[in-house]
Amino acid sequence: MSNQARGGPLQGVRVVELTRVWAGPFGGKLLAFLGAEVIKIESLGSLDPSRGYGGVKVNQAPGFQAVNPQKLSVQIDVKSKEGRALVLELLSKSDVLLENLRPGAIDRLGLGYEAVKAVKPDIVYVSMGMYGSEGPLAYQTGYAPSFAALGGVTFMVGYEGEPPAGMNIRYGDATFGTAAAFAAVVALMHRRRTGAGQFVDVSAVETMSSMIGDTIMDFTLNGRLQVCDGNRHPEMAPHGVYPCRGGDWISIAVSSDQAWRELADAMGQPALAEHPHFRTRADRKANESELDRLVTQWTLRHDARALAASLQQRGIAAAKSQNSIDLISDQHLWQREFYRTVTGGAGQSRPIVGPAWRMSRGAAVTDGAPQLGEHNAYVLGEVLGLSAEEQRRLAEAGITL
Amino acid sequence: MSALSDFRIVELSESVCGEYCGKLLSDFGAEVIKLERPACGSPTRSLGPFAAGEAGVERSGLFAYLNTNKNSVALELSTPAGAATLGRLVARADAVIDDHAPGWLKSVGLDPGTFQDRYPRLVLCAITPYGQDAPADRAHAEDLNVFHASGWGYHTPTAADDNKPPLKGPGRFLPSYEAGLDAALCVVAALYGREESGRGQFIDVSAQAVLASRVDYVLGQLVAGDMEATPRRTVFDLWGPATIFACRDGYVYLWLSERGHWAAMRQLMGNPQWMNSFPERWMELECTPERVAKCRQEFGAFLKTRGRDEVSAQAQKLGLPLVAVKNAGDLQRSPQYVYRGFFAELDHPVLGTAAYPTVPYKLSATRAKIVRPAPLLGQHTEAKLAALSGTTAEAGPARAGGEHHS
Repeated sequence: MSNQARGGPLQGVRVVELTRVWAGPFGGKLLAFLGAEVIKIESLGSLDPSRGYGGVKVNQAPGFQAVNPQKLSVQIDVKSKEGRALVLELLSKSDVLLENLRPGAIDRLGLGYEAVKAVKPDIVYVSMGMYGSEGPLAYQTGYAPSFAALGGVTFMVGYEGEPPAGMNIRYGDATFGTAAAFAAVVALMHRRRTGAGQFVDVSAVETMSSMIGDTIMDFTLNGRLQVCDGNRHPEMAPHGVYPCRGGDWISIAVSSDQAWRELADAMGQPALAEHPHFRTRADRKANESELDRLVTQWTLRHDARALAASLQQRGIAAAKSQNSIDLISDQHLWQREFYRTVTGGAGQSRPIVGPAWRMSRGAAVTDGAPQLGEHNAYVLGEVLGLSAEEQRRLAEAGITL
Repeated sequence: MSALSDFRIVELSESVCGEYCGKLLSDFGAEVIKLERPACGSPTRSLGPFAAGEAGVERSGLFAYLNTNKNSVALELSTPAGAATLGRLVARADAVIDDHAPGWLKSVGLDPGTFQDRYPRLVLCAITPYGQDAPADRAHAEDLNVFHASGWGYHTPTAADDNKPPLKGPGRFLPSYEAGLDAALCVVAALYGREESGRGQFIDVSAQAVLASRVDYVLGQLVAGDMEATPRRTVFDLWGPATIFACRDGYVYLWLSERGHWAAMRQLMGNPQWMNSFPERWMELECTPERVAKCRQEFGAFLKTRGRDEVSAQAQKLGLPLVAVKNAGDLQRSPQYVYRGFFAELDHPVLGTAAYPTVPYKLSATRAKIVRPAPLLGQHTEAKLAALSGTTAEAGPARAGGEHHS
């Protein structure tokens, strides 16, 4: 499908990505899912490392394909003088630049905000850094779990009375990318209204902190530090993840006395609901360990999915803790087209993780991740207006390889 | 003016995801009119943390955080008069944000399937745990359940112990914040698209899908068959020595994945003997469990007597991505947070002055700004409803398609 006519709210917006691995590419992917034309600048000499993970050919790298659907790829060696000029030329015809290179790298390439602004005064320039682009700690680097550690997330995830264990190691990049995408669209709106572009400076660590905003408020208001509390919740009990048959787990969250009565009934122990240890939420919180033991004894005998379904019928918030098989066979996610099949550059079809939203006037999302340089002719020829001969010369000179 | 100050948003949300979405917009200057139940207000008002631990409609730190810059209008939606007032508010709004269960919007006259007949320019966004088309066995969910339906729960923490339950993530509301962020992105994008098309649309955000999308790097490989799906709790994990270590005064997180990191670690530790038995590129090529264990044991012993901030600063200067595991108190003292102004002092008539966490992006021309604390219940009822009948100058411009000003 032509990239100009996919529909969606950002149709007509052109985004250039100088990004690597996950967080930056994720931000670009969201903009592509909203209808923007997203062009990833790559080159053989400076590949996105995720094109190399997995020990396969650059066009088959599985992680790269997972995070870069619906984008275009153009090969330009940004480190060469001519390559840099081409990038600036492309940026002069673009709306957004998204970058997540190492601190200072974009400036060393001669593609800092001032340089880009000189050729495109109203550019929305989005810079993503672990700590943001400036400040006493901006020089520091890290990966997603470092963001989570620095942002206050890791400290709170763990079992009661134990050291922090943290979120799964994969957490952080995609959230960071989303914050960048949101800020980019806000800046686009400002430009639409005023004509002015701007520099958008996004911090991964602060993005993590914004996922625990209420916890931080507890500290600022009361000086209270929330620590690892397993699966406890100050306003609900039972609230936990309980073992089921076959090594599966079920999450159950009881938010009212009514739900608790239903749960006690489902457990075949309706008298528990009136037991002085468990009658009110305060009672249940005070005797939570005992409560969790009783629930565990009961859930152990059941199949997680069937149990969740029967609790749902009683109005209780319950869900199986989904493993990776459950996840990819989740029919609801297929029906929503969260998983959908797209077509890759070589014509092969491939299931991808699509948008998490559905829009009544959304963009078509039909294409897989691009092959390296798949859109050289489009970008160099149609967008930049270079003749076939000039394109050949650039390739031979190694500028567009 | 700020980026969104021309926009008027009606917020029907009554939980964290929708209120957070509204906050992300109001902090960029959108006029967010929050409708609240007259007697008790938003349910988030009765959730902690409360100032000094004392509950009260105006004492919730959660509500105060989520509702900065907003206007509170107390309105009973279940009466015909209330419904009519809602209709008039919506007619003048650019967007509506909701987070009630599927079906609720229809009950207040905003059927997702037909509202565009009456409000063609309206962007209507509904955030729910599983989306508008949730199956019957997913009708009820709290954040805990969404977290576990998304795959994050089962695979948290890394290197899970099968004898201990999977975890819920940090605090209470990570799934809600994630869903609210996606919703805010979609709403502003839809408003942007409307500038051209003149038409609004319906946005259906599923919190489960939002959270699952946050692991697309892995999930995309699983769904495409590039990675094997199994019931193991370590499927999302990465190999290697990266993990949390205890220091003298807290914890640090070590990332170690390439030769350069290894060289930096060697320097940091003063070129210890044990490192010489490791191949230079062991992490990329020969990452055995024995080497991981040895590396962790030695590095752990090295860290035990060191201070987390000093040793991580030293490591960073050498190129080793070692960072402190920070808590909420550390954040407030972070020189980087201070430099970027992440915390904003704000005075609230009941809660007093406190430092509020703000947003993770700095826009050079249109910084997100908290200019007003969260509203008292019904604080703006009179002003906003009077504006409806056009009796005050407060009424914003009735904007038609394409009519904009800077």
